[in-house]
Amino acid sequence: MSTALKVTDLAKSYGGKRAVDGISFDVRAGELYALLGPNGAGKTTTLRMVAGLLAADAGGISVFDVDARKDPLAAKQLIAWLPDEPLLYDKLTAWEYLEFVAGLWGVPPVSARAEAERLLKLLGLWDNRNDRCETFSRGMKQKAVLAGALIHEPKLLMLDEPLTGLDAAASRLVKDLIRERVAQGAGVILTTHILEVAERMADRIGIIKDGKLLIEGSLEELRTQAGQQGQSLEDVFLSLTATQPVAAAEPAL
Amino acid sequence: MSKPGSIPWLMAHELRLFWRRGKMRPKSGLILIGLILGGWLLLSFFLFQKIGPLIPPPPFLNEPGDGLALAAIGVMIGFIASVMTSGAILAAVDAIYTRNDLDLLLSSPVSPWRVLVVRSSAIAVGALPLYAGMLGPPLIWMAIFSSPLWLSAIVVLATLAFAATGLALLIVTGLFRLIGPRSTRVLAQIISAVAGAAVFLSFQLFNLNSRGSGGMSQDQMTTMIAGLNIDPHVWWLFPARAFTGDIVSTVLWLLGVAMLFPLGVFVFSRSFVADAAAASAMGKRKRGMDARVAQVHGGVMQSVVRKELRLLARDPLLLSQIGLQLIYFIPLAFILIRPDRGIMLTEAAFAPALTLLAGTLAGSLTWITVSAEDAPDLLASAPVHAKMVDRAKFASAVAPVLILMAIPVAILLVRDAWAGVWTAGGVIASAISAALIGLWRRAPGTRREFVRRRAKGTLMAGLGQALVAMGITATAGLGAYGLPWLAILPAIIAAAMLGALYKQPTPQAS
Repeated sequence: MSTALKVTDLAKSYGGKRAVDGISFDVRAGELYALLGPNGAGKTTTLRMVAGLLAADAGGISVFDVDARKDPLAAKQLIAWLPDEPLLYDKLTAWEYLEFVAGLWGVPPVSARAEAERLLKLLGLWDNRNDRCETFSRGMKQKAVLAGALIHEPKLLMLDEPLTGLDAAASRLVKDLIRERVAQGAGVILTTHILEVAERMADRIGIIKDGKLLIEGSLEELRTQAGQQGQSLEDVFLSLTATQPVAAAEPAL
Repeated sequence: MSKPGSIPWLMAHELRLFWRRGKMRPKSGLILIGLILGGWLLLSFFLFQKIGPLIPPPPFLNEPGDGLALAAIGVMIGFIASVMTSGAILAAVDAIYTRNDLDLLLSSPVSPWRVLVVRSSAIAVGALPLYAGMLGPPLIWMAIFSSPLWLSAIVVLATLAFAATGLALLIVTGLFRLIGPRSTRVLAQIISAVAGAAVFLSFQLFNLNSRGSGGMSQDQMTTMIAGLNIDPHVWWLFPARAFTGDIVSTVLWLLGVAMLFPLGVFVFSRSFVADAAAASAMGKRKRGMDARVAQVHGGVMQSVVRKELRLLARDPLLLSQIGLQLIYFIPLAFILIRPDRGIMLTEAAFAPALTLLAGTLAGSLTWITVSAEDAPDLLASAPVHAKMVDRAKFASAVAPVLILMAIPVAILLVRDAWAGVWTAGGVIASAISAALIGLWRRAPGTRREFVRRRAKGTLMAGLGQALVAMGITATAGLGAYGLPWLAILPAIIAAAMLGALYKQPTPQAS
């Protein structure tokens, strides 16, 4: 299995505060990797550096053996980034939005048209393709952004809180699409605060706190390493990250 | 410390928010404003120490020609009122559509009436500082050196903001009832823009009419104005009479304001909750299903240009502002198309006018295409060079302006090749320089923030842009008038200023 993403000793500071402090991990092709951590742990900063939205202070980022710091455009060609807040152009229609994204990634018009149609139908937005995004609900916007992320068939998909604000049906649809991409051999890395999602979907999980990777592995490996055999991911997570030991020791409801 | 939930407490909250809306730190802001005000107070002291005794004490009803003076004051009040009403309309629309913290305030156990009285008062108070700062010091010295009755002008100015706000609230509520939330937003923005220029446009219309009816020279116009026999007691001059200290008019004025402002707030607040709910549901209205499947076009540069042009064409506020800028030039266009009206304008006069217009339009479009980017992360994560995105945005801003200017420039070239060439050069230079400054001095934000952010670039960039525009305008004007050697100096100043404004653009993509 080839390596989709390799992060080595990645570091980023904001005004003297180490937001990401020498993180190293890798995501394999055909694998879903969940990056978990409490608020402010450095998850989004890490993903934004991989996506080329933030310059790293130190460390290496390799996407399918392309050095993302030396050749960011080649790396970006392989990546799709889905932020937690769906950023769309209100005055563009869903179709025009997809056309724009396909243009940015240099997708040939014929393939872009076919893929846009497939994705919009799959995501239930086909009837709304000529509606402006300003008329969309949050769930519809999230789906439109997801379609934009998938239209250029990325080999590495990075999703920051992809299920925030989605209803049950939309959430299920997004999860199915993520699984589909993984089955097709793409590497997927996601952050989420919904630990059940990571527990059910992720092949491997990394937990970070204060910019440092605390633990990494499959759920079973995490349990073993944390000494929490038979416990849920939530228990493992809290035992590793909680700042108040008493609260962390309480059993999950 | 006022009681939580009381009007003074809510007012303190509003003032805090108003003060923090500025870019500067509160302390440096206070120092800067203090310095400017102090400087103006001192300057106007020396000025009015000399000319103050020459200004007659109001009311100057027993002086010859006083009706004309009152009319001039009336025009000034009308101008200030139209600008204040314009701002208040935008603020009232903003309150309905974006609401910000109003949802929190209205869901609290504080009376909605109290909340909206304070919010409406804040709109009025917000309109005051500029005029109070500009006119306050001269009026104070006029009161000292001429007559204390001039102090009544301060009372009229202060209450004028409340009258304008009351009127604006009535206009916005009326529009909501008549045409619904979607159209209200667009129309209110247009009305606001037109209201802000109402006095100027009235003069333009008058000017145009007088020309249309056989032509009127400047001398004829001066004679006509001097010969106007305006009755100083005519009813519509009562705000001007109140401004100049006439007691009866002042009482009338205050009564009018005391009725208009509460009436506006009452009408506005009665329907505010329903209107705000209608506005928030507005975005969910769907058109009938559109079964078209459009073609997909490729190309990175073309994709960005297409997207920018679509967004520009679908921005009603921008279109209304551009429309207004064009309205200012209608009289000029009229003269260009119908030259035989006895008007003392040569073709060369069009060079500075069109140059200035091109720069203003390109500046507005660049501000939107470059600074108001709704999805910066998308562009930054795309495999595209930032410079290419900037080039595409630059082209999207400049191309429409040059296309729009092509027609008048072509007419000029036919009528007077020399003036046409200088005009073409001025238009191109002005549009490109305005777009470059927009690129270099961008202030990233979303398109929704456009209304508030538009006039809030840095002071340095604003002044620099104005100087560059003036330099290029002067260059084009002097060149077109046949003074190319004189045109060199403003051209050098504009180029130097442009160079000083250069700043490595902050990339939106890498």
